[in-house]
Amino acid sequence: MPILSLHDVRKEYLTDGQRVLALNGVTMEVAAGEFVAIVGRSGCGKSTLLNLAGAMDFPTSGSVTVDGVCTTNLNDAEQTRLRRKKVGFVFQSFQLLHTLTAVENIELPLLLAGEPRAREAAIESLKWVELDGLGDRFPHQLSGGQMQRVAIARALVHAPKIILADEPTGNLDTITGGVVLEFLQRLTHAKGTATVMATHSQEAANLSDTVVRLRDGNIEEVTRR
Amino acid sequence: MPYLQLFYRLMFRPLFREPVRLGLTVLAVALGVAVVVAIDLAGDAAAGSFHSSMETLTGDNDLEIVATGGVPESVVRTLATEPYLLRVSPRMEDYAIVRESKQTLPLIGIDLIAESYRYFRPADTEGSARGGNKSGPGSLEDLEDSASIWVGSHLGRRPGEKIDLSINDQSFRSTIRGVYPDQSGGDGAIVMDIAAAQQVLHRFGRVDRVLLKLPPNANHAEWVTRIEGLLPPGVTARPEGTATSENRRMLAAFRWNLRLLSYIALVVGAFLIYNTISVSVVRRRPEIGIVRALGASRFAVLSAFLGEAGCMGLAGSLLGLPLGKAMAVGAVKLMSSTVQSLYVSSRPGPITLTPSSFALAIVVGMGLAMASAISPAREAMFVPPAEAMARGRREFRARLNKTRDLILALVLAVLAVAASFAPAIAGKPVFGYAAALLLIIAAAHAIPALVAFLSRRTSKALGKVFGVEALLASQSLVASLGRTSVLVGALSTAVAMMTSVGIMVGSFRQTVVNWMDMELPADLYLRPAGDPAPDRHPTISLELVDEIANLPGVAAVDRLRAYEISFEGMPATLASVDLRAPDSRRGTDFVSGRPAREVLPKLRGQYNAIISEPFSYKHRLRTGDWLTLPLGESQVRLKIIDVSYDYGSERGYIVMDRDMLLKFLPDPAPSNLAVFVAPGSAVEEVRERIREATAGRPILIFSDRDLRAEAIRIFDRTFAITYALEAVAVLVAVIGIAGALLALVIDRRRELGLLRFLGASTGQIRRLILVEAGLLGLLANLVGFVLGYSLSLILVFVINKQSFGWTIRFHWPVTVLLGALTVVYLATVVSGFYPAWIAVRLNPLEVVHEE
Repeated sequence: MPILSLHDVRKEYLTDGQRVLALNGVTMEVAAGEFVAIVGRSGCGKSTLLNLAGAMDFPTSGSVTVDGVCTTNLNDAEQTRLRRKKVGFVFQSFQLLHTLTAVENIELPLLLAGEPRAREAAIESLKWVELDGLGDRFPHQLSGGQMQRVAIARALVHAPKIILADEPTGNLDTITGGVVLEFLQRLTHAKGTATVMATHSQEAANLSDTVVRLRDGNIEEVTRR
Repeated sequence: MPYLQLFYRLMFRPLFREPVRLGLTVLAVALGVAVVVAIDLAGDAAAGSFHSSMETLTGDNDLEIVATGGVPESVVRTLATEPYLLRVSPRMEDYAIVRESKQTLPLIGIDLIAESYRYFRPADTEGSARGGNKSGPGSLEDLEDSASIWVGSHLGRRPGEKIDLSINDQSFRSTIRGVYPDQSGGDGAIVMDIAAAQQVLHRFGRVDRVLLKLPPNANHAEWVTRIEGLLPPGVTARPEGTATSENRRMLAAFRWNLRLLSYIALVVGAFLIYNTISVSVVRRRPEIGIVRALGASRFAVLSAFLGEAGCMGLAGSLLGLPLGKAMAVGAVKLMSSTVQSLYVSSRPGPITLTPSSFALAIVVGMGLAMASAISPAREAMFVPPAEAMARGRREFRARLNKTRDLILALVLAVLAVAASFAPAIAGKPVFGYAAALLLIIAAAHAIPALVAFLSRRTSKALGKVFGVEALLASQSLVASLGRTSVLVGALSTAVAMMTSVGIMVGSFRQTVVNWMDMELPADLYLRPAGDPAPDRHPTISLELVDEIANLPGVAAVDRLRAYEISFEGMPATLASVDLRAPDSRRGTDFVSGRPAREVLPKLRGQYNAIISEPFSYKHRLRTGDWLTLPLGESQVRLKIIDVSYDYGSERGYIVMDRDMLLKFLPDPAPSNLAVFVAPGSAVEEVRERIREATAGRPILIFSDRDLRAEAIRIFDRTFAITYALEAVAVLVAVIGIAGALLALVIDRRRELGLLRFLGASTGQIRRLILVEAGLLGLLANLVGFVLGYSLSLILVFVINKQSFGWTIRFHWPVTVLLGALTVVYLATVVSGFYPAWIAVRLNPLEVVHEE
């Protein structure tokens, strides 16, 4: 069974009275452990697709299923529970809380879920991204690459089924970005977590198992490696 | 014009993007302005009528002749027969109670034959005295009849009607002979012929005052000297209206203190404006960089933010003015009741908005706002363009030097302590208030270090006990330390005011209760009916007193007679006492600490006096000093044998032996009686006998418990206005907290959106904001309580002492304080509900993604 399934998904927004069609009948599936890159120009619908996949938004029509759960009819509490258990997010600008240390940022999803042993899990997660000596540092004491690795660790700490990464290397230089992508790819395969990554970068796309090219809200091309 | 256009587009128009926050800020300023305006208007109204009730119907006189106990009639004859172009108007003055409405009105006896033309218009004198129309004095028989009276039109009565009056301890059924048009203000005095007035008041051979109208263009000072040369010792000539001036001077300390209390709400508002402009500067750093890069000067940036604050201040002022007028209506009632209880009987004047009220509102509102904005505006003007325009979202944190601020706080605290030891200036505790202000500023500087210290040490524990929301909330307060400190400063100032005034009032109350235990040793107390006032002393006839003293079960009756006098330009009360009960039954608290049985015998038969503490303080007199009083036609020197604590009134008391006073003022009727019940007799039985003996007379009988309860009731009513001012200050602070929390939510929307991505539920987001509000409330309560305790020491031992001369013994009103602090805490949490609701409604998609 695919971890993520979008079936004929349309998404329309109303912006200042104007209708904007962000996704127009998108159908795709992502298997467990698969690393998928969504590529396309700005405004093609990449972030919208990630939001729908992460149960942060609802499709205008069509259905989105995450690990067998259709998100369309979920209320807010159910969506929240789904995200807590099955989805991890990685953002372009890291989005770490600057008042928390690295390990505190990582354990945050578990604390929000009321899970016990959050600290132990966070320390373990820190080891996955090879930052186990830097857990007590604050974000402003870390480099960009290190911050993004902390963000990846946070996205993985609660063992989600799927990670959604929105331009994870957008704020990093080429070399650092490459390092981060390697971590992401390695952990995806090692943990069996599916990763869907929106990116402009061809190098990032080259590391993925599947490349989905979006254009004006439609899937233009799917390339499997 | 281009600058105004730019100002409108860049500063003014954006204000309306957050209408709720703008509204809350303007409302906070408006409340502060309203309180100041209300106290100012109410003070003018309450004090304005001190042309006191007795100044009514004075006409256009220039001088008045006064003497303690009344001016001898011989003086009137002397003045009337002098070859000067003088108009001489003798008067009798007292009060009468309308039995039906229980209204107390001035009772004035004038020479109606000679003077009626000045008070009754020609048109009013038409018609018969028995007619239904308004009319002037009627026949000579009417004038001589002590039951004939004339009343003001505001009473709504008609000539020929009967009206029941109580005057001193007598009841009268009077006939209204005429109705005169009230002057503006409608004092509505009851007018009698002077001879009839002397009869009902039992004051023969003397008049209460003689008013003089001098020749045109007369030099008043010369005439005062000339006329004093004609008067016997003890009788004084002074400008007419002196009593009013003295009352106003006496009230100055009361008004001054109330005015300063009203400024506390403004101080709280100042914190909030500072916070609002600081937030504005932080948010607009990129814009500041852009406009500076485009050529704007530093001064232009400074003016822009001062202008923003000025707009809020102006809006607050314009809203605060009508609000202040509305609040003044309530304030004047509270103030008048205090004035009536502690100072002098009067009627409040109208509340009038004048150009100066308008100017006060504008200066206070705009001035406060712009002064509060200077610091953040200066910070804005020094923002380097390049730094401000840097790409990437970088949280700008105001640099706080906690160590430097802590040292500054300590220095200010030391200065405050030093200032509190300085003496008053012209009777005003200027250094006391300076000390209070220094302490508030010191606390404001210490808050950042305190918040950081407490949060860092308790955040983990809070997280363990109350969950991740408490951990995040605690850390968030430290992360926005500049902002948190200002909010805590604002609320803690209001809490400190509440705490300090609560402790002061609680201490004062307990002091008064303890004092009454000593000062009310008798079993029963009697006085004539009517609202008590410090300047009204109706009397009880001697026959009735002797009758009561001879009732079975009555062991002794103390008699006290009080007179209003003027001493060194301030009103005071002269009392004579005839203490019949054994001294062993008395407490009387003396400053020297000596017992009553040692001090009181020294009064008997001697030219000695005891003065009250307020009198001692005002006139700088101590035990062993001498004072000279005009009594009757003599100047009498009295030696001060001790100073007694007295909380009955601020006017100040001089107490002497009754027999000695009667040598100069032969009016034996007492104003008050204290009845001691014989051992073995039941107090209620004796009370019943006294009630029977005084049947039909307007005499009130109190047990000592009744008297205590009435005194405490008056006391509590006196401080009602203070409680109202505290409540407004706390309200301003809570409104400010709500607005500031809203700003915090908006500025942290990215973080809040991220938490939703990470799995936070809406309930957790709500709790996070409410916990932040709760932590702010806790911190503010803690700081406010400590600051409030410190301020209470200044209030009790410096400001109160220097303003009024009272010694107050420190007392903790624990229940009241706990209750008040709890209410403030809950209000702070409630203020977080709207920001929490906004936080929950934020769309994480809009605030997190960067496409």
